[in-house]
Amino acid sequence: MSKRQKKIITAAVVLALMFGIVPNVSAMHIMEGYLPGGFCIAWGVLCIPFLAAGLFSIQKTIRRNRKLITLLAMSGAFIFVISSLKIPSVTGSCSHMTGTGLGAILFGPCAVSILGIIVLLFQAILLAHGGLTTLGANVFSMAIAGPFVSWGIYRLCSKAGVNKRVCVFLAAMIGDLFTYCVTAVQMALAHHADTTVAGALGKFLVVFAPTQLPLAVIEGIITVVIVMGLESYAKPELRAVGFIKEAK
Amino acid sequence: MITIDKLCYHSGLRYENAGEKFAFAVVTLMICVMSRSMAVAAVVLAVMGGLTVWKGKIPLIRYLRFLTVPLAFLVLSTAAIMFNISKTPLDLFAVSLGEWYLTAGSHSFFYALQLIFTALAAVSCLYFLSFTTPMPDILEVLRKLHCPKLLIEMMLLIYRFIFILLDTASAISTSQDCRLGNRNYRTALRSFGMLGSVLMIRAVNRSNRLYDAMETRCYDGTIRVLSESHPPKRKVVALIIGFELLLFAFALWRRFFS
Repeated sequence: MSKRQKKIITAAVVLALMFGIVPNVSAMHIMEGYLPGGFCIAWGVLCIPFLAAGLFSIQKTIRRNRKLITLLAMSGAFIFVISSLKIPSVTGSCSHMTGTGLGAILFGPCAVSILGIIVLLFQAILLAHGGLTTLGANVFSMAIAGPFVSWGIYRLCSKAGVNKRVCVFLAAMIGDLFTYCVTAVQMALAHHADTTVAGALGKFLVVFAPTQLPLAVIEGIITVVIVMGLESYAKPELRAVGFIKEAK
Repeated sequence: MITIDKLCYHSGLRYENAGEKFAFAVVTLMICVMSRSMAVAAVVLAVMGGLTVWKGKIPLIRYLRFLTVPLAFLVLSTAAIMFNISKTPLDLFAVSLGEWYLTAGSHSFFYALQLIFTALAAVSCLYFLSFTTPMPDILEVLRKLHCPKLLIEMMLLIYRFIFILLDTASAISTSQDCRLGNRNYRTALRSFGMLGSVLMIRAVNRSNRLYDAMETRCYDGTIRVLSESHPPKRKVVALIIGFELLLFAFALWRRFFS
């Protein structure tokens, strides 16, 4: 481990200690049945153009090089497994990362939209995170909005010549925060019984902040460590994964 | 490794026709979510929970424990809906905090209560599906519903890979534990990051080898799986249709006439 890595990890620990407690949370999946029917359909319809674009891009990739189908599937499974593993938190309670920021950096946002819907469906059925009726809303926040922002920030920072680690950290963290904000907006639009939409939005943001803010920071740190590890040990594999991103 | 997956292979309803189960769960789910009524939700929760535990032979304790999985989300978001911070107290109760009140109105209170019931009932529908129907069967149903072929293929592959990667991940984390990799928070974070990157490397290698293996077995773009067929039973189909019609009528009645 180089001195630089040590420094990053020290900073990580300080940050994590600052936030203290991370309660038992997974990434912010909207629970099954929590959105009214109209909203479920509306969010689902909103996802369709992105998913179609993703599907066509994947189809094109695979037509060019059929070998990539196993790589794509493995990437999907990787996102699922990373998001189902318990990440270390200070108090020993369990929390999970979304993994979509990492996915967007590694595989590009178009592929992640399709992998994301499959992963979210599996999470709903196998892990009971999220649900079938709220699949549309969850796909929009976690597989479309978050990854696109992550990817955008990553590209922007790379172009601007920012340190790569800072790029990755910012991309993963802000992508996560954006997902959380979008989810809060979705909830506020659907449920504002006594107040205005803005009031409800404020309440949802405040209520989920203690769980989601530290999670975003931890996700950023872990993503940096993963990407650093890949950079130092897995250049050829990264190049293989880059194929998915290039063919769009 | 994934408890739900393990349990659903042992379910008493495992060998029923997958299409029946899928339709039953999804239609009930839709009626339940659309109706937004507490009575409908209670009926759905009772029927779905009963079927899963009694017919599906899922241990009750396990089932109840799984119902608490989305609890954190449910509690937090319901609290956000129910409570308000405002300068004027609302009708249900109000606790004063200096100039402001932590308060709740009866309208939002009942709204939140109804939401909890609907959400729990919807979760019971989801659990009925996932506790009785293994993933390959669900994929078979999706194939019959003309889901894009590429998507189905990817899902099948991903489903398989998930278990390979989980296996690898658990082996890696065991050996990290052995070498004091989770001694304190700092090492734990580092271990997790390393686990992630090694997992990715292993995944890429594995996928290359798998493709080679598929190629040697004449892979031409479609994976053919032998699907066991359990033809739908007329009696079950009639029961399901009857139940859905009754539930729909009940939901309409609750919505418009009471």
